[in-house]
This record gives sequence, C-alpha cells and structure tokens, in this order.
Amino acid sequence: MGYVWEFGVVFNQLDLLLAGLLNTLKITGGALLFGIPLGLLAAILRLSTYKWLRVSVGVLIEFFRTTPPIVQLFWFFFALPMLSGIEMDPFRASLVTFSIQSSAFFAEVFRGGIVSIERGQWEAARAIGMNYLESMRRVILPQAVKRMIPAFLERVIELMKTTTLVATVSYADLLYQANNIAQSTYRPLEVFTVAAGLYFIVLFPTSLLVKRIERQLAKTGEGTVH
Amino acid sequence: MEHVWDFQTVFASWSLLSQGLFNTLKLGLLTLITGMFFGFFVGLGRYSRSSWVNFPAGVFVEVFRNTPALVQIMWFYFAFPIISPFDIDAFAAAALGLGLNTTAFCAEIFRGGIQSIHRGQWEAGKALGMTYREQVWRIILPQAVVRMIPAFMNRVVELMKMTSLASVIAFGELMHQAKTISTYHFNPIESYTVVALLFFLVISPFAFLVYHLENRFRK
Repeated sequence: MGYVWEFGVVFNQLDLLLAGLLNTLKITGGALLFGIPLGLLAAILRLSTYKWLRVSVGVLIEFFRTTPPIVQLFWFFFALPMLSGIEMDPFRASLVTFSIQSSAFFAEVFRGGIVSIERGQWEAARAIGMNYLESMRRVILPQAVKRMIPAFLERVIELMKTTTLVATVSYADLLYQANNIAQSTYRPLEVFTVAAGLYFIVLFPTSLLVKRIERQLAKTGEGTVH
Repeated sequence: MEHVWDFQTVFASWSLLSQGLFNTLKLGLLTLITGMFFGFFVGLGRYSRSSWVNFPAGVFVEVFRNTPALVQIMWFYFAFPIISPFDIDAFAAAALGLGLNTTAFCAEIFRGGIQSIHRGQWEAGKALGMTYREQVWRIILPQAVVRMIPAFMNRVVELMKMTSLASVIAFGELMHQAKTISTYHFNPIESYTVVALLFFLVISPFAFLVYHLENRFRK
C-alpha cells in the first residue's frame, strides 16, 4: 500500500495549530493559577484537627481524583448552567473544571509534602512563638515545597495532557484545530501526527526536567514526595 | 431558577447504562491486561544493555507518555486506518490507543521496580548458575512485584478514567451512553451526575486500596 505522505498542507496551516497550542497553554496556565492556591487550601483543610472537615474535604478530593475529567467537564458545561443560571462558554467551563480537578491532585501533593516535614519543625516554630499560619508559611512550606517539585511538575504534564478534552466542548485548543484542519484537508494522518509531535515537543523536555530534579534531590539526600 | 431533579428518565434508560458500564469494563480490562503483558517486555527492554533494544523501547515509552491519550485515540481512529490494511472501528482504535499508552506506563513501572532491586541479587543469581531468564523469574520479579503493586493500582485508576475518552470517537462506553441519554431526554444534569457517580463507585475502591497499601508499605 503506497501512501504518499504530504506534510505541506499541514505546514501551510501551522499558524492555526500554533494558535491552538497557545490556547492549550492558556488553559493549562489558568488552571494552575487557580488550582494551586485551591489545592493548598484543600490540603490544609484535609489536615485539619476537626474530623468532619477532614473527612468531607477528603471525600471531595477523592471524588475529583477518581471520576473522569471528561465527565466533570460535561457536567460543568451542560449541567451547571441549567442548575445555577451561570452562563458558561467553553473557555469558562474548561477553566473551572481543570482548576478544580487539578486542585484535587495538587492537594494531595501539598499534603504529602507537609506531612513529610518532621514534627520537630512544628514544635520549634511554636516554641519561638509562631502561630499556625506563621509556622506553615515560614517554616513548613519552604521546606516542603522543595520536596514537592518533581510530583508537582509531573502533575503539570498530566494537566496539559488532560486539557485536550476542551476540544470536546469546542474550545479551540491544539487538538480542536488539528481536527478541523484534518477535516478540511482530508489529511488526518499528517495533521494528527504533527499535533502529537507538538505536544511531545512541549511535554518531553518537562519530563526530562522532572527526572533531573529527582536525581539532584536524591543526590543531596533530600526525599521527594509522590 | 429552580431545577426539579428527575432521575426517572435516567433509570428508565438502565439498559443503555448497563451496556455502557459493560463496555467501559471490557475496554479497561482488555487494555490493562495487554498493557501489563507488553509493558513487562518493554520494561525489560529498557533495562537491556544493547542499545538496539533499549533505544527503541525508550522512544516508544517517551512518545506514549508525553502525548495526550486523547490524541493517541484520535490518531488511531482518524489517521491510522489510512495506512492500516485492517478495518479499525471505534473499539479497536480506543483499545489500540489505550493499550499502547498503558504499555508505556506499565513499562516504566516494571523498569522502576526491577531497578529498585539491588544489583547483588542479580549477581547472586548468576553465581548460582542461573540464566538471565531464571534470574528475572525466580529472583528479581518476586521481590520487585510487591513494590510495584501500588503503582499498578494507580494505573488501574488512571486507565479506568481514560476509558471515558473513547466516547469522543463514539464508542458506546458509559460516558457515551450518558451523552445519548441526555440528548434524548434533555436531562444532562441527571445523566452526567449518575454517570459520574457510577465511575466513582467503580474506581474509588482501587484508589482506596492504593492509599491503604501505600500506608502499609511506609511502615
């Protein structure tokens, strides 16, 4: 079977693909912007001394970690507007979904990091008169964050891969553009291969970075959290 | 705006939902088994000293780990049939995409597990006159497998969630059935809520198991 590859038609529309990539990065960045603080808050609540708070936040985190993101996205896009009257466009629905979804995962990373810090650090902070928030901000988090970096970057990679779902609600990300171009040029083989290549170009260096940081932390004897 | 919840129409479509659940489990189980099987060999391949073996294995793993699963599924559904001599339906495309994706992730788990076993264990096996295969089967794997269990459970969770991606190419798994029901009965709120809960019921026991096992191993 002699198939003649023809990448020319794809490169003619490379600007569309790159615009899609930009939108992919926009959603990823936006989700990080909201997801990280929300995740930190959720982690702190999950470590609360009140059992009802600990359990209910834990269930919420687990729910968002163990249901498929596409179901969540469809729920926020189709169901939430009918329930609440909030207007949703594809961008807003995607941003809300991925902020909340990634915050559930970030919460676990933060929790792992915070728990990994020895009790003595808390006690030392209290002994010099710091309250809970001060000890968290000045003593615990600065040490915990270092151990969380690899797990954290790993999450960013997962997040960016997951954002391809926004194409299903017609947000013009990289995959959506690829699909459109494939349909207009009848060249799905080339278009989807190039799109996959673009994702790889962004994600692979990030993966390498994760491995390098892990090795470096292992060398200095610093533990990492997963 | 007051919404009157009405789950009646969702439960009336129970046959669609149960069929979707069956298809979700079928896709998940098939890709898990093939992914673990081939992942084992790819993982060993990455550990090989010959660069003819470990380089292609490495490229395969990195490509499938660093591109989105949805792109892989769509590639196998829209692009691959052009160069493939076989017919590819939605199930085959989803199984290929998710199967290879799982193979890559499982290969990393096997590699990590095998690497975590001290070199001395290999040497001890060799000193007893074992062949490479015997060393792997009798000495390395039995020790490595225990350490890999939480990572595999985690894979099950991720994989079961990923099966929902097959709805994009209209494979009749749970999520796709929810779409069908919601367009037919105009009840997206109820159908997506029910399906989210069904996924949660299927997947959360595994997530709970991971949590439990990790705590036990830490002790």
